[in-house]
Amino acid sequence: MRLFEDYREFIPDFDSFLESLERPLPNHLRVNRLKTSPASVIALLQNKGIFLKPAYIGNDTLYEAPRDLLPGRLLEYFLGYIHPQALTSCVASLFLAPRANSTVLDLCAAPGGKTSHVAQLMANTGIIVANELHLRRHAPLSHTLSRLGVLNTVLTAYPAQEFPLRESFDFVMADVPCSGEGRWRFSRGPYSTAESKYRTAMVEAQKKMILRGFDLLRKEGTMVYSTCTYNPEENEKVVDFLLGHRDAELVPLDYVPGIEPGIPRWRKEDFDGRVRGAGRFYPHRIDSVGFFMAKICRRG
Amino acid sequence: MLFSYLEERFGIHEQTFVDFDLFSKRKSWWLLRKTANAYLPVRLKVSQVGLRAFDKVGKYLKPTTRMIQLFGHHATRGVHQVDESGLQRLSRGESLEIDGLIDEGFVILRLREQVLGLGLLAQGKITSRIRKYELNQISLS
Repeated sequence: MRLFEDYREFIPDFDSFLESLERPLPNHLRVNRLKTSPASVIALLQNKGIFLKPAYIGNDTLYEAPRDLLPGRLLEYFLGYIHPQALTSCVASLFLAPRANSTVLDLCAAPGGKTSHVAQLMANTGIIVANELHLRRHAPLSHTLSRLGVLNTVLTAYPAQEFPLRESFDFVMADVPCSGEGRWRFSRGPYSTAESKYRTAMVEAQKKMILRGFDLLRKEGTMVYSTCTYNPEENEKVVDFLLGHRDAELVPLDYVPGIEPGIPRWRKEDFDGRVRGAGRFYPHRIDSVGFFMAKICRRG
Repeated sequence: MLFSYLEERFGIHEQTFVDFDLFSKRKSWWLLRKTANAYLPVRLKVSQVGLRAFDKVGKYLKPTTRMIQLFGHHATRGVHQVDESGLQRLSRGESLEIDGLIDEGFVILRLREQVLGLGLLAQGKITSRIRKYELNQISLS
């Protein structure tokens, strides 16, 4: 099987990586502090015979639930106490670490998991502009935000790479459209990658988005660029493009068990060595959706 | 007027909303936390602001489920406590008969400490005003 074979050269312990794809994705939940407390949710679910395991050391809002649980059918979901969200997706918001009362732009916001997490980290203060180009995705985005009690967000529908430059933000979340390889598991059916022509177009769009996200930052502002794919073309190469075109700084990521550094070389192409400061998440190292993240700062 | 309705009907003090702005669009009102950066939404083409808080339904004003879930715990009156079997009946579209201690109109439905949303009390019976689809999704076992 040649599944992800091209990545054997940089994914550590590649056979374990392939084995990890045999397992279904775990059931991760985020407790929504905007409406409740972790202790309350743990107690409510325990009364129903549902036991949560902490999923992330040092954070009391992220948990793993039993695999057979359907979180969307729980009363606690309806009440907005919990949100099913991949652990690695939550890590992106933790890396962004937005301050209370700051201004945040979420460039590609739907379905709203990261937006609502950012709102939670800001304790519903300041303002978040949740941008989503596709209007058909505004309904699920709006549903997520309202169910979780988010009160500091406005929705816009600009193409991310053309978001108006007349504004600037303290924080930008650029979780951009990608080929989605990190979401793939065997249980989800046959693997297929997007046509190479489409993927090339996607990389070009990603480059424009990272530039626009950076240009929208205030001085000393912070951006997280993330994708849920392993493909270096959509990850390190895009960050390398930013570093080559702007006076950007890559900020070291907080240590997370299982995180791997960015790769400085791919298909005989050398990237700016600073891309090693980005982070890669593989499912055999952290049992969740595969992700890439880079934390970028605009110099003061 | 909108917040005074909540005070009159449910005893939720208007002061609770001192840190919020209300925006109206068509037949709905939206609640947004006040911010020092209020200029931001003004200069952008915005499709939605904050949380949908009230809808005008016919000639009546109805707080949304999410609004009540967020602020209903401040209520001192107009609250009806349901149990699991009552909630299941409501989700099936049935009504609950109650003793007449609450004036007719919207009531806040609460299951133990959890605020679920709104019901409508008329002629001694409460019916749910929570979206049926969402209620039907809930598994109480």
